[in-house]
Amino acid sequence: MMQEKVPGGTQEAEGDASMPVAELRSVSKSFGSVLAARDLNLSIRQGEFLSFLGPSGCGKTTALRMLAGFETPTEGEVRIAGEVVNDLPSFRRPVNMVFQSYALFPHLTVAQNIAYGLQQQRPRPTREEVSAKVSEALETVRLAGFEGRRIWEMSGGQQQRVALARAIVNRPRLLLLDEPLAALDRKLRKEMQIELQDLQRSLGITFVLVTHDQEEALSLSDRICVMRGGRIVQIGSPRELYDEPASKYVADFVGTSNFFEGSIASKDGEQAVLKLADGQTMAGTCAPGLSVGDKACVSLRPEQIALENAASDGAHPVTVLNRIFLGEHTEYLVSSETLGNVIVLAPRQAERAGTSYNKGDKAWITWREDAARILLSEQ
Amino acid sequence: MTQRERNWLLLAPAAAWFFVMLILPLSFVFVFSFGERGDAGGYVPAFTFEQYANLPARFAAFKNTLILAPLGTLAAMLIAYPLAYQLAVRTDPKWRLILLVLVIVPFWTSILIRSYAWLFILGGQGIPRLLDFIGIEDVRLIYTPFAVLIGIIYGYLPLMVFPIYVALDRLDKRLLEASADLGARPMTTFFRVTLPMSIPGMATGCMLVFILLMGEFLIPALLGGGKVFFVGNALVDLFLQSRNWAFGSAVAMMLIVVMLVTVTVYMRLIARLNTQRDDDVALM
Ligand SMILES: Nc1ncnc2c1ncn2[C@@H]1O[C@H](COP(=O)(O)OP(=O)(O)O)[C@@H](O)[C@H]1O
Ligand SMILES: [Mg+2]
Repeated sequence: MMQEKVPGGTQEAEGDASMPVAELRSVSKSFGSVLAARDLNLSIRQGEFLSFLGPSGCGKTTALRMLAGFETPTEGEVRIAGEVVNDLPSFRRPVNMVFQSYALFPHLTVAQNIAYGLQQQRPRPTREEVSAKVSEALETVRLAGFEGRRIWEMSGGQQQRVALARAIVNRPRLLLLDEPLAALDRKLRKEMQIELQDLQRSLGITFVLVTHDQEEALSLSDRICVMRGGRIVQIGSPRELYDEPASKYVADFVGTSNFFEGSIASKDGEQAVLKLADGQTMAGTCAPGLSVGDKACVSLRPEQIALENAASDGAHPVTVLNRIFLGEHTEYLVSSETLGNVIVLAPRQAERAGTSYNKGDKAWITWREDAARILLSEQ
Repeated sequence: MTQRERNWLLLAPAAAWFFVMLILPLSFVFVFSFGERGDAGGYVPAFTFEQYANLPARFAAFKNTLILAPLGTLAAMLIAYPLAYQLAVRTDPKWRLILLVLVIVPFWTSILIRSYAWLFILGGQGIPRLLDFIGIEDVRLIYTPFAVLIGIIYGYLPLMVFPIYVALDRLDKRLLEASADLGARPMTTFFRVTLPMSIPGMATGCMLVFILLMGEFLIPALLGGGKVFFVGNALVDLFLQSRNWAFGSAVAMMLIVVMLVTVTVYMRLIARLNTQRDDDVALM
């Protein structure tokens, strides 16, 4: 064997921060006639918190399972640390998964569950090393002292933590989480979301989370990968997805939005004008890939619409139909003769300033033109 | 009717059955075992321990039963496990039902007929003749303990396959994925997850087969040819042939005692196996 010391380091993946932890390249997966994943392209960055978001059945779990090694892609390449791993069985991948229903071993204690992965390492760690790491992992998930417990003696939330500890104790390159919080009640879910985020930051492990809960994805992720019908429809930071959705589907799935349907009448660079069915026009920022004549819609976020008590230039007269108090905000459902029903979110300050409306009141809605986004309306 | 009364009413049929079919005959056997044989056979009331003192005369039957029943149970389990595993884990669900039915098909014909088939296969015109053909001479299979063992395994296999199949079928397949995900090779996954999780099924199967084997008489009668006899054969002989009901009852009582002891020990063992903690992380 030739031994040559290369100055400036080798091409080792470990230290190279720019090398993606994992990649999907033109990955497709079909189960018989069902195309569960179609042409997925994704590069997962070192240390990020990435979420797969989409409705049930859109292929999120399938994508995750291909990274874990439980499914082999029908087409394309899965890479981990730069190497193609399509045929690498899951037990050889530096990846760990937190299963949707935890999949804890019922015949083992909490400590034995957590030790399981460590015991598979070669060279085999000593009993003391395993013991110490298990205790440390249990402390991390705030379950110190539960070592000897049986799985069935633990609550759902505690089982969730054990599942997490069992995965992170192995310090995987990539931690995959398949709807880990779906089975928890709302309050516990909020708590665990915060803990997950803290954990990810303190451990520096790359997290890939699957969820159908947009709120969860928005609050936890550095980047979100929105999926639909087996395809990735948009990848971006929560802010990008919210402010610059690429399609009506994304705008609708990520947050709430008002949509006004029509077709593009004119376009000038990023700016375009949409002609609604009744002939009126609305201007806005146009998503890429649209051209004059396309069926499109204007998307307006409820908080970007202002409710005013006096007419101004370009304001639409409306009647207040409903008012829901949401704490920091008040949600109004208003009806416009030309635009139909519109949801408006007014901040609390507006109410304090004395501009509050009741059912039946007349008012006007306005918005800044750059808040309106023109998107492909194919639903 | 109060809840209590209703509970009793619901229990009544089972209790009646239990009394008529178990307690009552058992009481007769118990009483008979202290009696004497009449001149023309049957039973003459008495109170003597003579029959129990006579038990060593049937030592061979107890010995055969206590060797071949556990051995047969073990062998049946070793054969049934891979079969059940194949069916529950590896087989496409489409084929599963058909294959399961194939496992029980032999049950559709009488054990008598099926054992006769073995009588032929193991007899002079069967396997020994084939062996003779390729130069291995003078092999005797029929009327040996081996023949009885073969018959036992064959007859009781389905009874063993089913409980194990059910245990493996119920095993959450995600546990196997979790094990692989944590870095365990398929072999490790089998020994650390699949096997421990199927212990209850194996225990049930063994219990079923073992208890039934303790009373078996047909297979040893046919394939053992009077040379390899079980306690069951001794009982048939004593009650139906020599009509020595008193001694037969003592043998039956002894069989019950042996069975109670072995089953109790067995259950203790299984219970301990189930709660046993993994050595590696013991006491953590
Ligand atoms: N093992 C499988 N066999 C057949 N179809 C499957 C299998 N796994 C997933 N599918 C199908 O693939 C599609 C995507 O499933 P999945 O990835 O589980 O979606 P999600 O996790 O987003 O809910 C669904 O239509 C599902 O029915
Ligand atoms: Mg899923």
